[in-house]
Amino acid sequence: MSVMHEPHEMREASTGSLVVVVVIMIASALAFTLMTGPFDKLLGPGAGALPAALHGLIAFLYLFVGTIGLYLGWRLMTGHIRAFADLQLLAVVAATFSLLAICFGNWLYIYYRAPITDSPRSYFVKNIPEVHKIFFEFKEFGALFTLPLAVCAAFILWRYGLQVVERKWLRYSVAVLFGLAFFYLVVAFGLGAAVAKLKPA
Amino acid sequence: MTPTMVEPKLKEKSIEVAWTPSGRAPVPGGVAVAAFLAAMLGMLTLAVVNVFTAASKGFNAWVHSVGKLWMPGAEGIGPYSGKETLALVAWIGTWIVLHVILRKKDVEISRWFIVFLIGVGVATTLIWPPVFEHLAELIAGH
Repeated sequence: MSVMHEPHEMREASTGSLVVVVVIMIASALAFTLMTGPFDKLLGPGAGALPAALHGLIAFLYLFVGTIGLYLGWRLMTGHIRAFADLQLLAVVAATFSLLAICFGNWLYIYYRAPITDSPRSYFVKNIPEVHKIFFEFKEFGALFTLPLAVCAAFILWRYGLQVVERKWLRYSVAVLFGLAFFYLVVAFGLGAAVAKLKPA
Repeated sequence: MTPTMVEPKLKEKSIEVAWTPSGRAPVPGGVAVAAFLAAMLGMLTLAVVNVFTAASKGFNAWVHSVGKLWMPGAEGIGPYSGKETLALVAWIGTWIVLHVILRKKDVEISRWFIVFLIGVGVATTLIWPPVFEHLAELIAGH
């Protein structure tokens, strides 16, 4: 007796279904935590605990997306990109995370530089001024550089479409834009994490 | 009879395996050049404005007042809000202008991309605190 397997159609999961799965996973994890855990303790006691949590969360997600973008950018540069549509999507997500991280960073900055003796800036200026005067100031400006770079990469990828792959200097420029955005992201993320560890807002 | 396996046939439509050549009319290089030159000018604006705010208290106060015009929480954010605003205006403003000028011109991307890289390098150097503080002291004449 012969066993015949019917030919079947393989379908990739759509982006929509992926988004739904991610949203359900995050929502269920958040709901479980909020219902069972002392969430306020998780955020911390500082006045800037909420913007700090949001800024850190978005920055972490951006780091994750930026890392994938860096890899796909390198694949683009070498002409071996297979997931071009994914790179286009990723570029938009990266630009969005950059904008959100800057917005939440602005909110957090109010608490960082609050004119009180216990604010992180007051603490650093009094105890370790180099942290504020060199590392934090470089971080706050470098972080802003990620937005025009990420938006520029996303714009070129969508405006030119597959012509990016076909034209050498467009490939190079988009890949370098991803690389530069990743550099400033890592600088801002690393210095931000260090500052938050030394004196949370 | 031996069992027969039938390989599943992959539908090209449903699985992305690679890119296919674009069938669209070529987009002039000026569109990309306008985008990355505008990004560079936005970054340079941020860096230069920051040097001058460090050099002049009056300019610093004016930059803060620019941020207070529209940004929520600008009072607490300080002059940084104005630096962000001016950089944003320079970036978007020059992008619009350059896009209108260059969108139909097939300019050489390689040459302008090198200009962009030099500009980004200068902007990065200018936001490094020991450098901009030294420049601010020179400008202020201390």
